[in-house]
Amino acid sequence: MKPEELLRKTISRFVDNELIPAAREIDEKDEFPYDMFRKLGALGAYSIRYPKEYGGANANNTMFCIMCEELARGSMAVAAFTAMQCLMGTNFIFRYGTDEHKKKFFIPAIKGEKVVAFALTEPEAGTDLFGGVRTIAQKVGDGYILNGMKTWITNAPYADCFTVLCQTDKAKGVKGLNFFLVEKGMPGLSISPKFSKLGTHGTDISEIAFENCHIPLENQLGADGRGISNLTAILAEIRTMTAALSLGLARAAFDASVQYAKERVQFGKPIGKFQAIQLKIGTMATEIEASKHLLYHTTKLLDEGKQCMKEASMAKYFISEVACRAADEATRIFGAYAYSMEYPVQRFYRDTRFLLYGGGTSEILQTIIAKEVGL
Amino acid sequence: MNIIVLIKQVPDTTDVKINPKTGNLIREGIPTIMNPYDMHALEEALRIKDKSGGKVTAITMGPPQAIDVMQEALAVGADTGILLTDEAFAGADTLATAYTLGRCIEKIGKYDLIICGLQAIDGDTAQVGPQVAEYLDIAQITYVRKIHISEKKLIAERIIEDGYEIIECNLPALITVIKEINKPRYPKINKVIDACSEAADIIIWNAGDIDAAEDKTGLTGSPTQVKQIFTPEHKRKGEMLTGTPDSIAKQLLDRLRGKKLIRN
Repeated sequence: MKPEELLRKTISRFVDNELIPAAREIDEKDEFPYDMFRKLGALGAYSIRYPKEYGGANANNTMFCIMCEELARGSMAVAAFTAMQCLMGTNFIFRYGTDEHKKKFFIPAIKGEKVVAFALTEPEAGTDLFGGVRTIAQKVGDGYILNGMKTWITNAPYADCFTVLCQTDKAKGVKGLNFFLVEKGMPGLSISPKFSKLGTHGTDISEIAFENCHIPLENQLGADGRGISNLTAILAEIRTMTAALSLGLARAAFDASVQYAKERVQFGKPIGKFQAIQLKIGTMATEIEASKHLLYHTTKLLDEGKQCMKEASMAKYFISEVACRAADEATRIFGAYAYSMEYPVQRFYRDTRFLLYGGGTSEILQTIIAKEVGL
Repeated sequence: MNIIVLIKQVPDTTDVKINPKTGNLIREGIPTIMNPYDMHALEEALRIKDKSGGKVTAITMGPPQAIDVMQEALAVGADTGILLTDEAFAGADTLATAYTLGRCIEKIGKYDLIICGLQAIDGDTAQVGPQVAEYLDIAQITYVRKIHISEKKLIAERIIEDGYEIIECNLPALITVIKEINKPRYPKINKVIDACSEAADIIIWNAGDIDAAEDKTGLTGSPTQVKQIFTPEHKRKGEMLTGTPDSIAKQLLDRLRGKKLIRN
């Protein structure tokens, strides 16, 4: 069998036996589930994209997205921190960090011993990321001094290190943007309490602030002025990964709906026998099937090294919206039970909103796609 | 310690359909899995290897696509997989299957312990393990829930109807294990990918490779004659409620109220 098939089978078994039974408690406790974090480390989830000499699987984007999709079917919170650990949180340390950085952060992170975070967004720099970065890294003799604030930082409350986007020279504009590695506990770094949020309970998000935070020179990740081009290099992968998370959540909502439509009896027969429900299920099934094709077409382009920002943007835009519609329809199929915290449908509904913002909102992605096709 | 694990690929369903004309199982379109009991057999072998070293060899007999379960075995941690596949093996009953597996084990030669799942979830006979032990003329302990190995001795707890018995035997021996013996591990993701590569240590042998006698394999070598095979008719249908205890209780009450068996 192909590695993709055995990988899906393996992750799917883990999700069914370990993650789904734990998902409700993770959501209700709303605390980072260290136990699940370590279990995924033991499985080799965080090292999936990295070379074998680091204990990784050297898997391509297709396999990475299969894993993300399956995990999201079980718990969006767990899938979200896993994706962060696999991609954005470790990518820049692996590619541009020193041997010491790799030893201290990258290797423990991909083993599931340390948590990593990625800090881009600021109060004034969301969709207008490149134009809005106000966090300054000022070069001094033996390093940089950081001042500013980052917000919506996934994993921040318990992260061991942060990859932070900073402006080093305002006059250079986008070319003055660079990434830096900041360690937990460095003087001048402060982390806010976690945000109270609608969904993905179990993956915490908070603000981080820098006040004359001094970091050594070697903590600059990547050549000077390459910050944005190094980020753009993985942007299509980030969008495609978010599409995979969306597909997993859409499938979870769909599977729950089909099962419930078979079990719930009204007017003397299961509600799945009524056309009103069949129309919903038929639409969900079709949209999910279309999503699979778009997602894995895009991962194939990524794996072949082809330019695919258009397809990656389409996949993220389309499939996150499919997940929202699937979760919405699931709440209608479940009727009042969807309003009860007893059933997972309310969690699916809440968690879909997480998918709409990271990697670009639907609206910004639509404009990117429009530009890609010639406008 | 050299350990051999016998594995079967089975259909991933409890709803087995039978072709009424041929009397055979309909396998087309049904996904396959490693027989769940065999996952426990493999896990036990890996635990022994983790503790005291050695080599774990997985063997399966089946059509070419049964290579899937050898890949799974390697992904979990088996060192070598052997797929026995040949048209001559087709249609084998338990005796012909045991003969074929036995010939393969004789060809491997050096072994201390053979571990099998209690039974396969498709045929449910629980015969192949004991028949392999008989063929090889070694000790066998079935229904094993716990083992302890010291020197050249094996001590096993074997479940019986109202408890368990402790049995000791010399090695080499064959055991069949129940699900309670352990919790199978998950393969590591990097091993999953390695197991599906061309470099994976999977050997494919046919009847000639194991010097199997033609009249002892496959349908020809099978003394069992199936007279009739049929799906029993379920006249009363059960229904499993799923969810949390609270939601199951609610669902049950809804149904009882719906049938007007209780008042609101």
